[in-house]
Amino acid sequence: MSLIMPEPDQLTLDNSESIIADLRKISKNVLSEEEEKAVYETDGLSVHRQRPIAVVLPETTKEVSEVLKYCYQNNVKVVPRGAGTGLSGGALPLKDSVLVSLGKFNKILDVDFDNRCVVTQPGVTNLSITGAVQHEGFYYAPDPSSQIACSIGGNISTNAGGVHSLKYGVTTNNVLGIEMVLIDGTIIRLGGKNLDPEGYDLLGIMTGSEGLLAVITEITVRILKKPQSVRAVLIGFNTNDDAGNCVAEIISSGIIPAGMEIMDKPLIIATDNFAKAGYPRDVEILLIVELDGTESEVDTLINRVLEIAKKNKASYNRASESDEERLRFWKGRKAAFTALGVISPDYICMDGSIPRKKLGNVLNEIASLSKKYGLAVANCFHAGDGNLHPLIMFDSNNAKELKKAEAFGADILKYCVKVGGVLTGEHGVGIEKRDLMCEMFNNDDIQQQLSLKKAFDEKSLLNPGKVFPVLHRCAEEGRVHIHKGKTRHPDLPRF
Amino acid sequence: MSGTYTPNNQEEISQFIYDSYQANKPLEIVTFNSKPIGRSIQCSQTLDLRKNSGVIEYAPEELFIKVKAGTPLIDILEILKSKKQCLGFEPVDLGYLYNGKSNYGSIGGVTSCNLSGPRRFKSGALRDHLLGFTAVNGKGECIKSGGTVVKNVTGYDLSKLLAGSYGTLSVLTELVFKVVPEPEYAETFILYDLNPKKAMEAFSVAMKTSLEVSGACFYSKKNTEFLRLNDIDSSKSVTAFRVEGPKKSVQERIVSLTKIFKEIKEKTVLELYQSNLFWKITANLECFSNSQNLVAKISLPPTETAGFISQFCEDDIMDINNKYFVDWAGGLVFLEINDKDPSYLILEKIKKFCKEKGSHITIIKANDNLRRTGFFVSTSDENIKMLAAKIKQSFDPKSILNPGKIYAGI
Repeated sequence: MSLIMPEPDQLTLDNSESIIADLRKISKNVLSEEEEKAVYETDGLSVHRQRPIAVVLPETTKEVSEVLKYCYQNNVKVVPRGAGTGLSGGALPLKDSVLVSLGKFNKILDVDFDNRCVVTQPGVTNLSITGAVQHEGFYYAPDPSSQIACSIGGNISTNAGGVHSLKYGVTTNNVLGIEMVLIDGTIIRLGGKNLDPEGYDLLGIMTGSEGLLAVITEITVRILKKPQSVRAVLIGFNTNDDAGNCVAEIISSGIIPAGMEIMDKPLIIATDNFAKAGYPRDVEILLIVELDGTESEVDTLINRVLEIAKKNKASYNRASESDEERLRFWKGRKAAFTALGVISPDYICMDGSIPRKKLGNVLNEIASLSKKYGLAVANCFHAGDGNLHPLIMFDSNNAKELKKAEAFGADILKYCVKVGGVLTGEHGVGIEKRDLMCEMFNNDDIQQQLSLKKAFDEKSLLNPGKVFPVLHRCAEEGRVHIHKGKTRHPDLPRF
Repeated sequence: MSGTYTPNNQEEISQFIYDSYQANKPLEIVTFNSKPIGRSIQCSQTLDLRKNSGVIEYAPEELFIKVKAGTPLIDILEILKSKKQCLGFEPVDLGYLYNGKSNYGSIGGVTSCNLSGPRRFKSGALRDHLLGFTAVNGKGECIKSGGTVVKNVTGYDLSKLLAGSYGTLSVLTELVFKVVPEPEYAETFILYDLNPKKAMEAFSVAMKTSLEVSGACFYSKKNTEFLRLNDIDSSKSVTAFRVEGPKKSVQERIVSLTKIFKEIKEKTVLELYQSNLFWKITANLECFSNSQNLVAKISLPPTETAGFISQFCEDDIMDINNKYFVDWAGGLVFLEINDKDPSYLILEKIKKFCKEKGSHITIIKANDNLRRTGFFVSTSDENIKMLAAKIKQSFDPKSILNPGKIYAGI
């Protein structure tokens, strides 16, 4: 696919050698050989690749500050990168950029049980935080499927979610403080071990800002005590509508499950083959509901859920009788992406969010789009919070198929917006959904977000070409919202 | 253009702000005037939002409610109650603090102050429950962000920024809040007569269990007389823990708490009705009802709170005796500072403490003079203030919306 990125700055490209030499004066970890840079040329959205001028791996906040200050003074673009597991291309380098990897910021700095928090460097993996506190029965709640590899800094950049976010929130609800470096090198600390920093909620705006506002160098997250009892139940259905109704009824009955996931038949089979999870193979759609709390509370809730399932024509149910069995239920779901890789040479993973009651409709629409495009699709959903991950299968050796898969994905997201949902629930906009932003926002909305970006990064050097359509794109597609037949500020750049 | 303008809808709000932007005329934003909070500002124009009121959509099964920002919060709470739902951040009624009687104000006002009640440490702040909004920025443009779904990372999370911005960035016109089921049942476990240090230790012990305590506050023995509840002995300090959920589960967890604190002799349990009353009184800061003094809230790492109390709230040896109570399991202190010292030297000392200990102070009630001349929040980092000024400018380039409300000159 042709991806329009900001025009490379010729002067920067011409000065590559001197930029690399200058960076070496700041950091001893500067990679400039082609084979060294190859590792960093893409992230989890691997259909797009680009090598930067250089990759820098700073070791201290001061080094990050100096690198950014240098780039700011010399008008060099900067792309920050965590573990590179992001699925929307947020860490894709630009040709004329310096990539700043936080890979060497890999230490947990403080485990503080009395204040129920962990202070960590951003390159630490999500799962390592739980690893550092689980001996005392604590854990870090947001659990994206990639938690074994994704970095906590990256989680903040995309406001990562996971399967337990319905009850325990996403990243933004679990971060207490950060240290960050602005593009001009200014170091700022926000929040800390206390709640709700004063003044504007800069922590809130940084979370989910996809590396466009500042580079994060330290993070304080809150940790939670593990619940006394956790059980999961598998429920099978023969139709999408029955499953959708069951989900809606569980929520409206006042139950907030710790997790509630849906998989369709292709994924049930693929994940069960891959992970031997013990899923029923004669159902069309499978719901996993996890409940936690005290033992009696969980038992009561499981019975209520099973009653609701029966009312909604469930054809199969099984409640976990041991923690091993519960983990086996999850093993399949958590391996969904890997398992699909076994049956399809390539797939793209979408990430829309929709109102729960539209689950049935959206699944039916995806099925008909699948026929229209002639591409197979498998679906998993964080059903509790309406976040869907259709996995569109294709073969990248066939150039036409990639194009078709991307058009199919865009149609799904447009449908999500049409039924009252949004383009991305937890993966971020990156470059992947950038050009669909005008489906959700009008020109004033986008101009306001761009103005905010300028408050942090006046020269637009930090991660340019991401999240927002490149200039004029919306206008070209005829999507600019015109209020009462006139635009208010003809002097402002329009899309 | 001067005086008070009371537009009927978003379109009229947008037009008024657009005209004010063109004319360089600043405006103060109010709804019911229920919360004289923040620095006081002098504008020739007042924008009164009370007519932009009403529920737009309530979807109990989708767990959200969409309302116009001028809607009285009390109306929203009643509508949610009819479906056994509530706002998870436990809204605060500051009417008692300012006027001695209930006045929740508008949902837009509460959002602008990001006010969250005792459940905050477990369930998140108001800003964590705001799913989306529509607003008018300082140029009169209608902007929106977020939506009605809980998981959404499409663009910057402007909801976070506007919650707690005290009307200085945009005028909120429509809000979407996440709603949650009302707790089925609740009880409160009380330990008597602990000193502040022991009380903070008790919080720490309880928070390290999986008993899911959803409220934890401490009243010193000099500040319990207003707790006129049948089942509370108000002659001693009160350390309270709330447990919510299905009745059987609540009772099991109360038994567990009783076992954990078996060494402490004096304790009691408040059942549902009294428990609910106790937390309402706590959420609404009723101990400061009609206070004529300065009242501040200080957010601290829980381990610093005992030290803060002995330095600024209560210490027999040093003869310090200010009225205060502790909420959020040790993470928040509400402190009343007597007006007898008009120079408020103590505020500077608290600011210094906050800077050293990673905390901050926000003045929630002050006399007119202090609101004009003093600080409102204790931000000491000039870089943060500079960034705040740029952010303000990006929404409100001519600084016409509540100018100077948070920081002087911004």
